[in-house]
Amino acid sequence: MTPAPLVLDGLLVGAILFALGLVGILARRNLIVMFLCAELMLQGISVSLVAWSRHHGDWGGHVLVIFVLTVAACEAAVALVFVLQAFARTGRLDSAAWQSLRESNVPRTVDHELPAVDTLPPKFPKLTPAGVEPPVDQDALLEREHV
Amino acid sequence: MIASVLPTISPGTLLAGGVTATAASLWLLLPRGQSGAVERTGRRLGGLLGLVAVGCFIATGHRLGSLGEDAVFLIVSLVAVVSGAATVVTRSPVYAAIWFAMALAGVAGVLLVLGGQFLGVATIVVYAGAILVMFLFVLMLAQPAGLAPYDRVSNEPLLAAVAGAVLLGILSLSIGRLSAEPPLCCRMPAKATAIAAGPADGVPAAAEAGIDLLASDHVARLGGELFGRHLLAVEVAGVLLLVALIGSIAIVSRGTDGTVAPARRAVP
Repeated sequence: MTPAPLVLDGLLVGAILFALGLVGILARRNLIVMFLCAELMLQGISVSLVAWSRHHGDWGGHVLVIFVLTVAACEAAVALVFVLQAFARTGRLDSAAWQSLRESNVPRTVDHELPAVDTLPPKFPKLTPAGVEPPVDQDALLEREHV
Repeated sequence: MIASVLPTISPGTLLAGGVTATAASLWLLLPRGQSGAVERTGRRLGGLLGLVAVGCFIATGHRLGSLGEDAVFLIVSLVAVVSGAATVVTRSPVYAAIWFAMALAGVAGVLLVLGGQFLGVATIVVYAGAILVMFLFVLMLAQPAGLAPYDRVSNEPLLAAVAGAVLLGILSLSIGRLSAEPPLCCRMPAKATAIAAGPADGVPAAAEAGIDLLASDHVARLGGELFGRHLLAVEVAGVLLLVALIGSIAIVSRGTDGTVAPARRAVP
């Protein structure tokens, strides 16, 4: 029996998500964005698994997706710690900062000078001030310097 | 509407057009270190080509299955795919994380339509609620102010876009093969065939075999399966979570040089 139409559509959506995640992994250089793209690939796999589960009429795909969720949580915990450590060492979230780990026959990534970005500050909506202005707490100002 | 246009285009042409449009659109949308009018024009063009690619794949899906007839499925899958593409091409990592949350909402909808009640909710709770918030935490800890140079360039954007689009084309082709009658070598195992054959022709396999979206004991049956046949795997997964927790704490507390991590310097 050929798969139901909805199953085929689910498989197509899963394939598209997987391919998009693959492009992100290959192209982006920010470690965290690369990681988000890996999660996107996992989502594509989950959609495919649930579609197959519907086709075969059993719970195998659902159970496997639950384990995918579990392993993804573990993976995120460990990998984000690695990313933080990498940032503490190099001061950048750049995968090219670790290019000394590459194979000896792979050419070096060279960054060229980039054109300046548009420096217009972002426009955020403003709330109308209401009530009495609270007194300024000097200690709080010191604490919030980095935000 | 879709059906009236479709017969004039052959499936191969449609798929080739979709793959080409996907590659070109992703290449135009990925950050390539440009700025100003060049970048804006490239992104607009990439967005238009992306619409063309989405249209091609909707038509392919309509031909394969029934994409477009179930409006809810069409909408949630569009949300998932468009937000997924935005996750990949957005410059700012914070916006990428927020687009990823949107993609998760779409994926949860797709899972719901496909009959995964519990998984749809679990995706939202576990991914968007826990993992994504952790991502944002790390981003806020580590992201320098403004757009970093490495967020404005990509590794080999053309090759990456072509690789992704070609993979997508191959996968779509093999999904298309599924809708044809399978050859003798690749038939399903006997038990699955018996289940899939169902009580009557034309009735979806899931309706008979128990993955029913509207069944009131859906989650109970999933739990029974999980803690029955897969009990050992559940225990192992618990141990895995514990090991990951201890491991990440150990790595963090070691610091960068085996000592306490020094204070971070702001990077210009």
